[in-house]
Amino acid sequence: MDKAEILKKLNDIFINTLDNADIVLKMETTAADIEEWDSLRHIMLVVEIEKTMKTKFTSKEITKFKNVGDIVNSIEAKK
Amino acid sequence: MTILEDIISRVEELNPIHAKKIRKNISGQNQEFLNKAENFLKDYMQFLTKHGKDLDYAIDCYLKLIDDMLYETIRFMTSKEYSNSSFQDVNTRIYDNPEVMEYHMQGLLLSQFLWIQHYKILEFFLENAPKHQDKTGNYLEVGAGHGIFLNSAIDLFSKVDSFTALDISKSSIEIAKNFVDSSKVRFVHSDILKFEEQDTFDFITMGEVLEHVENPIGLLEKLKSLLNDNGITFITTPTNAPAIDHIYLFRNAEEIREVIRKSGFQIISEIQVPSEDMTAEEAHEKGISVMYGAFLKK
Ligand SMILES: C[S@@+](CC[C@H](N)C(=O)[O-])C[C@H]1O[C@@H](n2cnc3c(N)ncnc32)[C@H](O)[C@@H]1O
Repeated sequence: MDKAEILKKLNDIFINTLDNADIVLKMETTAADIEEWDSLRHIMLVVEIEKTMKTKFTSKEITKFKNVGDIVNSIEAKK
Repeated sequence: MTILEDIISRVEELNPIHAKKIRKNISGQNQEFLNKAENFLKDYMQFLTKHGKDLDYAIDCYLKLIDDMLYETIRFMTSKEYSNSSFQDVNTRIYDNPEVMEYHMQGLLLSQFLWIQHYKILEFFLENAPKHQDKTGNYLEVGAGHGIFLNSAIDLFSKVDSFTALDISKSSIEIAKNFVDSSKVRFVHSDILKFEEQDTFDFITMGEVLEHVENPIGLLEKLKSLLNDNGITFITTPTNAPAIDHIYLFRNAEEIREVIRKSGFQIISEIQVPSEDMTAEEAHEKGISVMYGAFLKK
């Protein structure tokens, strides 16, 4: 899976978990750009991403997620 | 700019997702809260300066605590269990490890006014503890940690001339020694389960320790043996609160009450404070943490 495909999958997960069909993710998107992306939903997002992508992040990876690109890169590095 | 606003804007730069949560926590609070927070933070700043530390150091500690909790929570959401099961293991990795314990305790200090559950539980203590001050001649705090409860108890319980503060962690004791007016306090470095004392106590406070042991009934029975027959105990413990040093998982308040009853204590009054903006019932259902506090008697 390349970056674009991962980004697309993440976009679906964000739309479902944050319950907002208008979300269009870019690599630079941060929580400041999406109102619903708060700390509680962030946890739900990471759990959902791990489940869908069949992967498990380390604590180092999780604490470095500052934007969508960080998540995409982490997933890509694992494949 | 207030110290509180200064802290939030620095957190915003380093961890914007968490800053959103703090802003939400604080937005519903009144002026009284803001005044109390500012007074607490002024004292806290003095405490930091006295030890050659600054606000950036404190925020770094706090955000490490937040990172630990984030990781533990994500694992908890999938496993539905706490990651620790052995007290001995937690003791070696955390309580006995100054590198971790120092930032962990400093982080908890700062959480006092950033997390509403910590603020409200202290308010509950401050409102209700004075009812027992006339009968209180000696006082024990178990797992005193940073010493926030101890500080309030020294103000409230005027008849006590010696307070005993016990903790298993040397790092906690060092922080508390500097944070409270320690001239009236005897500090004891010990595991509560190994603590032996001739005298019994009139009042025992134990904030957020019950979830740190393998057998909470055994711990409350130990407190009972240290409490005089008319004595009062104040305890707090959270439900569904994954953390690097939590072992015993309470899934709801009823499970806590059951442990209290089985150990032979009776509940005088209690409070539940959800960690998110929802009712306690809703939080229990969703597996979100609720802080529980209660005054107990034999
Ligand atoms: C989460 S902190 C609570 C601090 C404070 N009491 C409060 O309520 O905010 C837990 C404290 O309990 C101490 N502790 C944990 N297990 C203990 C034990 N078996 N005996 C004594 N202290 C213990 C830890 O070292 C730590 O300082």
